[in-house]
Amino acid sequence: MTSETKNIKSGGALSRSLRSRLESFKRTLYFLTRNPLAVFGLSVTIFYVLVAIFGPFFVPGNPNYMVQILQYKGKYIYNTPLPPSARFPFGTTFGGYDLFNGIVKGARTDVFMAAIIVFIGAIIGIILGSIAGYKGGIIDDVIMRTTDIFLSIPFLVLAIAMLAILGRTLEIMIFAFIIVWWPTYTRIIRGQVLTIRELKYVEASKAAGASSLRIILRHVIPNSVYPLFVQASLDFGNVILGFATLNWLGFGYSTQNLAEWGSIMSLATIQGTSAVFKYSWTLLVPGIVILIFVLSLNFLGDGLRDVLDPRLRR
Amino acid sequence: MIPVLLGVVAITFALAHANINLLISEYEGRIHTPQARAAVLATLHLNGPFIVQYLYYIGALFTGQWGFTAPLDPYGGGRSVLSVFEMRFPPTAELALVATFITIALSIPIGVLSAVRKDRPVDHATRLLALFFVSIPTFWFAYLVLLAVSPVSSLVPHFLRLNYPTGQINYAQYAFVGNTGQLQPWVLTGQYSGLTRPTGFLLVDTLLYGDIPAFLDGLKHLFYPAVVVGLTSFGYFVRFMRSSMLETLGQDYIRTAKSKGIPANYVIKKHARRNSFGPTTTIMGLFFAGLLGGVVVVEVIYGWPGMGTWLYEAAIYDDLTSIVVTTFIFAIVIVVANLIVDVLYAYLDPRVRLE
Repeated sequence: MTSETKNIKSGGALSRSLRSRLESFKRTLYFLTRNPLAVFGLSVTIFYVLVAIFGPFFVPGNPNYMVQILQYKGKYIYNTPLPPSARFPFGTTFGGYDLFNGIVKGARTDVFMAAIIVFIGAIIGIILGSIAGYKGGIIDDVIMRTTDIFLSIPFLVLAIAMLAILGRTLEIMIFAFIIVWWPTYTRIIRGQVLTIRELKYVEASKAAGASSLRIILRHVIPNSVYPLFVQASLDFGNVILGFATLNWLGFGYSTQNLAEWGSIMSLATIQGTSAVFKYSWTLLVPGIVILIFVLSLNFLGDGLRDVLDPRLRR
Repeated sequence: MIPVLLGVVAITFALAHANINLLISEYEGRIHTPQARAAVLATLHLNGPFIVQYLYYIGALFTGQWGFTAPLDPYGGGRSVLSVFEMRFPPTAELALVATFITIALSIPIGVLSAVRKDRPVDHATRLLALFFVSIPTFWFAYLVLLAVSPVSSLVPHFLRLNYPTGQINYAQYAFVGNTGQLQPWVLTGQYSGLTRPTGFLLVDTLLYGDIPAFLDGLKHLFYPAVVVGLTSFGYFVRFMRSSMLETLGQDYIRTAKSKGIPANYVIKKHARRNSFGPTTTIMGLFFAGLLGGVVVVEVIYGWPGMGTWLYEAAIYDDLTSIVVTTFIFAIVIVVANLIVDVLYAYLDPRVRLE
């Protein structure tokens, strides 16, 4: 009897909290749709994610690797890329790779890599940041000094060093990104937690005898996580830029014909700078694809920040 | 400061010792025998416990024993890393300083203007421009600049560091002949044949020797890399400058100053702008880290003979010592930059006390 009422009660509380969350989500979405740039960013981002998920099924060949065409209309196109045409919408690049095919497949590689990196980085940031902010004292000092250390090495330098020394594999690459990206999230969450832990409802639940773990999980993290979404959507673009840069420099894990935007761009510069001037689409097209995606992620992040920051909303 | 420094040393130590075979193969010579391996292990103190190795590492780091480049390094293996560092550091410092100057000189007026004219066309245009530069891949932008300029002017005089006295070829490192003061490309045996580089900074040395055409040529080579790095970092900085200025403009003392009848221009210049510098200086460390990342990429594209190119080549040739040293130097530069910024912040804002 009692357990039943308890169940009903907790169910009611859950649905109530869910309903309020849904309502606040609806409100967020409404404010977001008032900002044309944010709408643009959101729709382009959704488009790219859809391409990343379903695109590779609609283009020929192995979904992870580019399609190499050595001969077209009786001519060898290994070293003479073809300009955009009906057969090759984005043209071809050095090595005889179809750019459209490669870029569609590359979307999957890049978007999923960025998602994994941002997700793991954010999880680490949430855990360490909330511990540092809530506990304070020496734990806080140690965690914050550690973030200082990692923030004082430029991302690209640390990533190149790690890839060169530990080996150019996918795992090392993800590891290098996460090592560089977790400090930002940790700092954001810590800053949020520092303000939230002084609020009345935290004090109330502490007075009611809740454990630190429960307070952190139920009260502190749900209320401090919004700025993280903003940072994550901005960082999603940064990860993609960093990923492309590393692969373009040739330090990525990518094998010769793995579809990835940075490697596709490195194919364009493989014959030296003068070749880039002659066959400029080989570099321009993948660059524009990256630029549009990162730009729309930034629009989305900016729009989200405007909506989620109540001081700016009014 | 000191804990961060020790942490950076610990990270480079971990990098240097993460792949012990790479470290040994660099010192082992061509023939890999167990005896040679044991000798290397003994001379590099790699046998003892980690804490002892770490102490040896710190000792060597701070006494300038930075080791030697790998035997396969393209410029003749086994050079002293310290001497390579002396060659490679000044160009990067020149590039980074000029790029920082360009960024700040562009961002402060534009950020202030954008904040003052909030939600007007100027503001929207600035925000779009800033977002554009935030979102653009640095290496792609470098090529875009080259593509845009190539129909108008010859690009040849813009790669590497100089092509002045010869006019035909570009070269990376320069030197002055000691007694005549004539500029010429650096040759590897330079230190034995009376060639000098008083400071290593080309723009300073040419002025010291009064060689104005060479100075201008150096500036010409510096122009594109510095503009590319400056513009790609401009996006972050102007966004932060704008939000910091907006925050300041919302303060009570601005309203007080305005209600006293002080002209708006004066309020912005004397009250708001100065106070908005404070928060901006706190992100300088992060900003500088991003800028140096851009420097690495741009150096590789333009053949700039700096730390970034060094790191790139070292990574290609598995030159472990150089990789670790460049990582360390980049980190130290940022730690020092943070320190300078803290001092500057205390100077700009007298309420802040240095501990």
